[in-house]
Amino acid sequence: MTESKKFNRVATIVLVLFTVAAILPILLIVLASFTEETTLIRDGYSFFPKQWSTDAYYYMVKQGVTIGRSYGISFLVTGVGTTLSVLITTMLAYPMARKSFKYRNVLAFFVFFTMLFNGGIVPSYIMWTQIFHIKNTLWALIIPNYLVSAFNVILVKNYYQNSIPDSLIEAAQIDGASEFTIFWKVMLPLAVPVIATISLFTGLCYWNDWTNGLYYVDNEKLYSIQQLLMKIMDNIQALRSNSNAALLGTGQVDLPGTSIRMAMAVIGILPILAIYPFIQKYLVKGVIVGAVKG
Amino acid sequence: MTKTEHAVARSAAKEKKAWKDLPLLLIALPGIAYLIINNYIPMMGIFLAFKDFSFFRGIFGSEWCGLENFRFLFQTKDAWIMTRNTILYNVAFIIIGTVLSILVAVFICELGERKRVKWFQGAMLLPNMLSWVVIGYIAYAFLNSETGFINNTILGRLGLDPISWYAKEGAWPLILLIVYIWKNIGYQSIVYTAAISGIDKSIFEAAAVDGATKLKQIIKVTLPMLKPTIITLTLMSIGRIFFSDFGLFYQVPQNSGAIYATTQTIDTYVYRGLMELNDVGMSAAAGLYQSLVGFVLVMIANTIVRKIDSDNALF
Amino acid sequence: MRRKLIAALMAATMALTVVGCGGAKDGGKASDSGYDQVTYAYCTFNNIPSEEDLDTVEEAINEITRDKIGVEVTLKPIGIADYSSKVSLALQGGEQIDIFESLGNFNTCVSTDMTYDITDLLDEYGSETKELVGENWLQACSKDGKVYGIPTMKPIALTPMIIYRQDIAEELGLDMSAVNSVEDVTDVLRKVKEAHPEMTPLAPVQQGQIGMNVVWDNVDWLTDDFYSPKGVLMGDDMTVVDFYSTPEFREKCELARQWYNEGLVMKDAATTTSTAAECMTSGNYFAYIAAYSYPEADTAASLQAQCGTNPIAAKMIGDAYLSTSDVNAVSWMIASTTKNPEAAMKFLNLTYTDADVINLLIYGIEGRDYVLNEDGSVSYPEGEDATTVPYTAQLSCGTLGNFFLMYPTAGTDPESLKWELEQNEKAKTSPAMGFTFDSDAYKTQYTAVTNVIQQYLAGLYCGSLDPDTEIDKFVAALKDAGYQDILDGKQEQLDEWLANNK
Repeated sequence: MTESKKFNRVATIVLVLFTVAAILPILLIVLASFTEETTLIRDGYSFFPKQWSTDAYYYMVKQGVTIGRSYGISFLVTGVGTTLSVLITTMLAYPMARKSFKYRNVLAFFVFFTMLFNGGIVPSYIMWTQIFHIKNTLWALIIPNYLVSAFNVILVKNYYQNSIPDSLIEAAQIDGASEFTIFWKVMLPLAVPVIATISLFTGLCYWNDWTNGLYYVDNEKLYSIQQLLMKIMDNIQALRSNSNAALLGTGQVDLPGTSIRMAMAVIGILPILAIYPFIQKYLVKGVIVGAVKG
Repeated sequence: MTKTEHAVARSAAKEKKAWKDLPLLLIALPGIAYLIINNYIPMMGIFLAFKDFSFFRGIFGSEWCGLENFRFLFQTKDAWIMTRNTILYNVAFIIIGTVLSILVAVFICELGERKRVKWFQGAMLLPNMLSWVVIGYIAYAFLNSETGFINNTILGRLGLDPISWYAKEGAWPLILLIVYIWKNIGYQSIVYTAAISGIDKSIFEAAAVDGATKLKQIIKVTLPMLKPTIITLTLMSIGRIFFSDFGLFYQVPQNSGAIYATTQTIDTYVYRGLMELNDVGMSAAAGLYQSLVGFVLVMIANTIVRKIDSDNALF
Repeated sequence: MRRKLIAALMAATMALTVVGCGGAKDGGKASDSGYDQVTYAYCTFNNIPSEEDLDTVEEAINEITRDKIGVEVTLKPIGIADYSSKVSLALQGGEQIDIFESLGNFNTCVSTDMTYDITDLLDEYGSETKELVGENWLQACSKDGKVYGIPTMKPIALTPMIIYRQDIAEELGLDMSAVNSVEDVTDVLRKVKEAHPEMTPLAPVQQGQIGMNVVWDNVDWLTDDFYSPKGVLMGDDMTVVDFYSTPEFREKCELARQWYNEGLVMKDAATTTSTAAECMTSGNYFAYIAAYSYPEADTAASLQAQCGTNPIAAKMIGDAYLSTSDVNAVSWMIASTTKNPEAAMKFLNLTYTDADVINLLIYGIEGRDYVLNEDGSVSYPEGEDATTVPYTAQLSCGTLGNFFLMYPTAGTDPESLKWELEQNEKAKTSPAMGFTFDSDAYKTQYTAVTNVIQQYLAGLYCGSLDPDTEIDKFVAALKDAGYQDILDGKQEQLDEWLANNK
């Protein structure tokens, strides 16, 4: 028992160190976003800023940008995208894990191949806009690129293969269950940890994405939060850089820079922090506790 | 049985077998269809690597130019340096990243459902949500020579001379490794956490009854059970060994020329080289080159794995 | 639980479909109205207006164009950050864009066939514009005798200036009028350092630039720019020289090194994340060096807002020098994929010649987006600013058509306009004005050489690299990368151009 306690203590200490290392720089960002711009440039980033300021946040609000709306879009896209993606991914991985399935290796290769080769943005763009007409719809934020990731498919396949005994499937087959029933009633419930894992990955991926928006969405009403932040920042950057000012030979505007960038990083993470307890309950817990209990 | 009867029986059996696979194929169908549309059809863009692209003529109308677009990848002496850097960094990331994520996963699972674990895991995921640009700013806050923490606070206190980090090429392998781990470890460890929680708990109990210490349980039970996951993830990383995380190597070193020897990778070279030309064909060529090398390596690795342990091969 | 999830998913899907409609507004030639349709893609530095607000401006412009040229226009404002990539994607993807602009990438546009040959169209439908812009400038937008673009009419001549803190200059009794070259700046910086050891006298303009790149008043970059020179002309000599081997380049690097060693310039200039404006606002810096196209007082006034509360002033420290790439940096082009080149040319012509059209484009609707003051200048309506009015593209004023036809903004000195026009005409001009280098055959060398330049130039210009040892390494690395091929190629094309233009 004491040996186990000692082990727990070591584990706790190591994890605390990792956690502190992860949190401190984030804290620095939060503080920097509340630091006065001039202080930030003169004294650098500090855990004890001399001059506090909410200018960066004020600027964001004053911009009249619809942060709330973009949050909504992001949540909707993340929710729908993740659900669809998890469904398709777990279904695609299932036959690959079945030893009796003749094409399992072909299929695995077919999936893996997409991880290595891609044709660049142009052909994808032409297809999604000319054939599927998803430009300026919410689908543009959901469908291209992220619905099936080879990495996730292989993770799930791997999990089915190694953590779910074949005997369970055979038993179900003897009971006369159809393949789909086996998948839905046997495989899925047993795969909770890996489903939680890929949900988290896919969710983060959708939440953090701005490239789909960049290519396929012009309408500001459909901007996700990341795209909105990216757009504001890029425009500030473009205006501040003197090379452009010189190129255009025109007037400029008064813009805070660094603290806004930090405020944006905070705005990008904030809702995730807010719903973290929820994620925690359904996802991370799923990963740790798992479903297979001895 | 006559020959024909034989054949008929065999083909009937075949048909039955094909039927047997059909439900499974149907389950996979949505995913297959998506990959064809999203990944395979756009792969025709790979042709661009061999074309002298013209907007007016489009992808298919543009003229072929052989391997011309690939030449720039091998034009300089830097070709060797950037290839070496890309591979060495990836190897280091694979090895150290795997070891540390397993460590974290093992610890997290060991502490199990305790409340604090929630916070550990959540906090370690946070860095993954920051963009590389912001991480570049944070790194700059630590490293810059005028107001940076390391020079101002740490080295100053210790009575050491400030170091100009963005010109010190020897320090960057370590810096980039730390930043990489900092950003990715929480994320990567989740895969292993899930794998460990998939292990049948009775195996651990049996081991404990046999008097195995925690450490022994980890070595004797956990690690062997993780082997398939480790192999799969490593094989996947090998496929991308010629690619590098552009943000890590471009934003974090602040594009400092003095440290190219240790920060230049294939992706940053291509980006810097093409930012004036903006050439579609040449960037396609670079991507194809990276993919092909990864493809060959992964085929070799996969064949080896299949020879030794066929269950764990990727395909 | 599972049923609930599916229900939620269905609801979300339906929400998507509802929101998803509406969009997809495709321009096309065929239109019910019977007018030719033209899509005008321009880059805006302001907020992208909402569709309804944009429509009113579009309609106001169409009221003019229907009568005058029988054309209807669709406006397509795109943010500066991704203008070039979006236009290129749209053209490749077969979307309709008929008119677009170059942002420093004129040559790439021409060499990848993005542009329509407008030589004849210009004569037929754009003769006024042709006259206005002049043969000389049009030649800068030509290749092999064919015209591919029209440069914007704006103050084009960039003069290097030092932007400095007026209060400190006065406090120390510095005679800024005696500062006429970058060498003269050294003394001023020293004095500031002496009186204010807590300050860093010179700030970088942005990462990797302390101003050394803009103080050249006799160098033609020959189609490259001052960020990444490769083979240049110096003075009136028509021999292409290796910029980095010249004694002039070495001198500037040595000067930068001297500043760096004496602590007169930000130590981290080559890697900083701060821009000049941020540094000036912080109060920790005295000055920065950059090139602007306005007279001194106007430049200072236009920069004041972003440089914080300390009063700033500007002093010219060199002369403007015009070469081909200054002219074609921002130029308007017709897409090679257009179905309607004549209509596009007709509209383009209006953006250079019709004050009503251009003012609608830039300021939007009078009364709603701006008010016209008695002196003919423009202000935002009471209580509004650039970020709150429904439509404005005011910050893009130097990129749209003819700057000199736009209403001035309130507070500009009318004399400035005259000065700017004069500068355009009188500024020293390169003997190779109109020559464009076609880098197509040297793409491989370009990528390698660009990488080498990126590695060394910023460090040398900012003083963090020692010119005594590093320039030689730099030149050797360039040679390895195939630099000589580019120099030879430039010389060859230049000689040919000279022969044809004598």
